[in-house]
Amino acid sequence: MRIDLKYLFTTLALCGVVSFSLAQVEGEEDEEDYSMYDNLDFADGEAKRFCSSKIKGLSPAKLISIGYDVQGAQTLTAGSFAGPLDALGQSQVLSPAETRNIDFSHGLRVAANIPVISRNNIIVQLGANHWSHTYEYSEPAATVLPVDLHQVLEQDGLQTTGINTTVFKPFNEKSFVIFQGSMDVNGNYNWSNFQSPRYATYSAALIWGQRPRDNKQWGVGLSRTYRAGELDYIPVFLFNWTSTGGKWGTELLLPARGHVRYTFNPRSMLFAGFELEGQSYRLNNNLNVDWYGTDFVELRRSELRFRLVYERSIYNFIWISAQAGYRVNYLFDLDQLDGGDEFFRGFFGDQPYFAINELSNTPYFNISINLVSP
Amino acid sequence: MKTARFIIALLTLALGASNAIAQDADQLVGVWEPSHGKARVKIEKIGEKYYGKIVWLKEPNDETTGEPKTDKNNPDPALRENKLRGYRILKDFTFKGEGEYADGTIYDPENGNTYSCTIKMTDENTLDIRGYIGVSAFGRTDVWKRLSIPSKK
Repeated sequence: MRIDLKYLFTTLALCGVVSFSLAQVEGEEDEEDYSMYDNLDFADGEAKRFCSSKIKGLSPAKLISIGYDVQGAQTLTAGSFAGPLDALGQSQVLSPAETRNIDFSHGLRVAANIPVISRNNIIVQLGANHWSHTYEYSEPAATVLPVDLHQVLEQDGLQTTGINTTVFKPFNEKSFVIFQGSMDVNGNYNWSNFQSPRYATYSAALIWGQRPRDNKQWGVGLSRTYRAGELDYIPVFLFNWTSTGGKWGTELLLPARGHVRYTFNPRSMLFAGFELEGQSYRLNNNLNVDWYGTDFVELRRSELRFRLVYERSIYNFIWISAQAGYRVNYLFDLDQLDGGDEFFRGFFGDQPYFAINELSNTPYFNISINLVSP
Repeated sequence: MKTARFIIALLTLALGASNAIAQDADQLVGVWEPSHGKARVKIEKIGEKYYGKIVWLKEPNDETTGEPKTDKNNPDPALRENKLRGYRILKDFTFKGEGEYADGTIYDPENGNTYSCTIKMTDENTLDIRGYIGVSAFGRTDVWKRLSIPSKK
């Protein structure tokens, strides 16, 4: 009986300790004097503080994204172009202009951006992406030409495969630098006939910025970019801001993209704005299409996407993103690169295009599922 | 007799070793400041686990209402009126040895998300706090510094 009582008292005591501990853990109300934490010093002297890469209310960064992009009916007029010149300086062949209708174009977009170093004094991300875009033509070609942009788009479509890195380096509580660099292989290749990295395009941006408050950051910089379809060196401007109360904000990285944000709650956001997308695609990967012996033909493709974007968490860190908008063609022309070497035309260069094409504008839709960053 | 002395010596050593481990583990207890400097977190030991609650906010009042900040972004509506000061954002950490604490979670009041979390004490005044999703690769590390509390007179 004595043993039983001991057992009972021990059990009661243990239960008391456990329930007291649980009450301490679960209970958020307590009588602690918090004023004692107002004026404290660092135990080992002054600590260096660094600004965050984010601001309050900013939409979450996407670690992994799998999406599908579709554009509506469009008409493409592939412009005429001449073959190579002979000894007399005259071309023996001329590819005529041809207009064809496309029911829709579409493709998969997969991207991953993984933080390999993520500390408060530096963040380094490595990423990879693959985009494809194929064109579904309304009817067969009226005449089969030996050289034809339509043929390339109809048979092969366009592919982009790239790797990239982003480095965020804060210097103190307010100043920071962002570096972004990417290498992309763009063309009418496929996995069994992958394009040589020799024809890769290289883009980069360097931004110096300030984060004066928790709800605002801005920056200025310079970029080497193909977003306008061809190589350009243009200034960039970063401005992320969230209003008092957190409902409204802007997420701008001009001229690449700019959005006004409305936040229903931290897991549900609506954006209105635009994105400028573009790349230069090598079109010599299909051996059945002979550009009259011209080895280095590139499609300069750039488009503006005016859009509404709705993003929300569907389960913890899994977010869905749906875009609807209007795709406006900016550039869809062909260039011929002498010896394969890229050249700089910029906005003011007068180098003629190999062929000038016309692509009509169309509505578009994009949906993606994403794993977002902490 | 010799056997008894040997057992006592062994028990003493074992108790001493477990006390030393407990003391090492308890180095986590204290007041810490995240790198953003907007809050201070007091880490306590409750039972065999470690918990951390917000004890100071640089901006303690809500900018729109002027009232003390509450956990307004919590996904559970019932918890949105809880005051942020006093809120436990670190939960359930257990000591794994060599300055590492694991199996815990960290809560971010700015977006209402709870992340898996590990704590590494890199020196007696510095913590690497890593919040992550699923696997540690999908995460972010923040460096927290210890604050010294003046001894009561």
